[in-house]
Amino acid sequence: MAIVAQHTKFSKVAWPVLAWAVGLLFFFPIFFMVMTSFKTDADAVKPEFLFRFTPTLENYTNMTNNYDYWRFATNSVITSVTATLFTLFVAVPCAYAMAFNPSRGTKDILMWMLSTKMLPAAAVLYPMIFMAKSLGIYDTKFLIVMVLSLINLPIAVWMLFTYFKDIPKDIIEAGQMDGLNTWGEVREILIPLAWGGIASTALLVFIFCWNEAYWTVRLTTIDAATLSKLIEGNRAPEGLFFGRLSAVSTAAVGPIVVLGWFCQKQLVQGLTFGAVK
Amino acid sequence: MANRTIPRLLQTPAIVLLLFWMLVPLSMTLFFSFIRYVLASTNRPEWTSPSISNWRGFGNYQYVWNQDSFWLAIQNSLLIVCSILFLTVILGVAIAILINRTFPGRGIVRVLLISPFFVMPAVNAVLWINMLLDPVLGLQGAAVAGANDLVALLRDAPVVGSFFSLWPQFEPISFRATQTSAYAVIMMVTWQWTPFAVLILMTSLQSEDQQQKEAAILDGASRWSQFRFLTLPHLARPIAIVVMIQAIFHLSLYAEIEIVSRGNGNKNLPYYIGELVNNNIGAASATGIFAVILANIVAIFLLRMLGKTLME
Repeated sequence: MAIVAQHTKFSKVAWPVLAWAVGLLFFFPIFFMVMTSFKTDADAVKPEFLFRFTPTLENYTNMTNNYDYWRFATNSVITSVTATLFTLFVAVPCAYAMAFNPSRGTKDILMWMLSTKMLPAAAVLYPMIFMAKSLGIYDTKFLIVMVLSLINLPIAVWMLFTYFKDIPKDIIEAGQMDGLNTWGEVREILIPLAWGGIASTALLVFIFCWNEAYWTVRLTTIDAATLSKLIEGNRAPEGLFFGRLSAVSTAAVGPIVVLGWFCQKQLVQGLTFGAVK
Repeated sequence: MANRTIPRLLQTPAIVLLLFWMLVPLSMTLFFSFIRYVLASTNRPEWTSPSISNWRGFGNYQYVWNQDSFWLAIQNSLLIVCSILFLTVILGVAIAILINRTFPGRGIVRVLLISPFFVMPAVNAVLWINMLLDPVLGLQGAAVAGANDLVALLRDAPVVGSFFSLWPQFEPISFRATQTSAYAVIMMVTWQWTPFAVLILMTSLQSEDQQQKEAAILDGASRWSQFRFLTLPHLARPIAIVVMIQAIFHLSLYAEIEIVSRGNGNKNLPYYIGELVNNNIGAASATGIFAVILANIVAIFLLRMLGKTLME
């Protein structure tokens, strides 16, 4: 093999070392955050305890007292899960129709949908506040669910469309021959075949909802405030609370980072709208 | 065909929702941008409600256009976006090539590398500006103190002592200051989005034509010319996509700006609009329309490129 022959002895050692160094370097800030979360607030700012310290769980056990963590976490879970389900509920039928019964306008509709994603949020900030306040839904979970669903709908439709498109049409036609109606097609053929695609779309939409930091911060005060709002509200502790702030941050991002590890591949398709495979 | 109605019906909810999302708020912004509209005014209480009788024509646009702070915000937006794009593409290509080869523990390295991308922006900013970059209490403070101690130690060392005795004390940098806060934002967003570039470029590298590469090696092509004439052209399209998608995301950076310095020294267009929204809705809306125009310049190119591959 020509390619193998090209590797010198030096690069055989240096290459993995360098790759590992880069990987660890990129992970270091997260490691540092997790490590700080096991220090007391006093120890967290002392250089002599930088890497040698007595680990404590007090930052985690005090999360409710310090930050009312679970209230914000509950809001994050409720809004993200509901928004993900609602997005799929709207996006799956749409992508299904587009993939299996494309018309001349389908491509244009898809392009137009994506263009809504490119609308800068700040440009419509005041109208959103204005409408929410006039309708009396400002700072409600309903509003946050609606906004999260709308901003993620284009991505969900695109992702699902690229998955559905790859399902051979012959299978659907064979199903029709066997006398399946539309609902039967969906239940017997589409869902079993596209299950993986639907699941990874859901996962990605959920991650985006969870991490959303513009609308959740600007359209909430207390009742519907999510974890983004909690962290943003405690932005500048002036060194006093590094330990407890690290704990609450770790709790806020931990589940999502782990979830993200499982959908790396789908992420590429979802984020590039199917243009890179 | 009678079958046409069902597909249409299935698409309707998504289309109606997005049509609403696109048209209603944006039309309101457009309307507000042409009227005098403020939230509080003791002298002119009639300006506090959105009404067509307060028509101002292009007055808000003119007002914003003549503000130095508007141009500063555009300049900051572009500086932040372009720096992040430059850094993430360079790092992305390098790291993608680095981990495209098989080596022990490659799967773990990939997981380590991709992790920053899933950290929520608010946590990213809080983590960097406090725990890592704080000049006294953060890691930077500890690192600078450690470096100074080391230099002090080396001053007394034989042979090299006279060399190190000339070294000045290192000073930590405050990243909340006007001169540096934009760099803090660039740093933390680059950390978060380099994994995105790596992931996409690596996916693309795996579809590179290996036979072509082997042929080039047999012909005696150097490493550099393999990269320059085979890999780089292959990566051109994914790089363009990485650039445009990131541009759209980073043009609306907000949480990081807010957390690092509340807009001091790094105020970008969304943050500027956010400040105007506290009172001058007319000007905020006019600025919003400018932001839409700026985003559309990028979006048109991106959509065109995506459209080409859509139906393949």
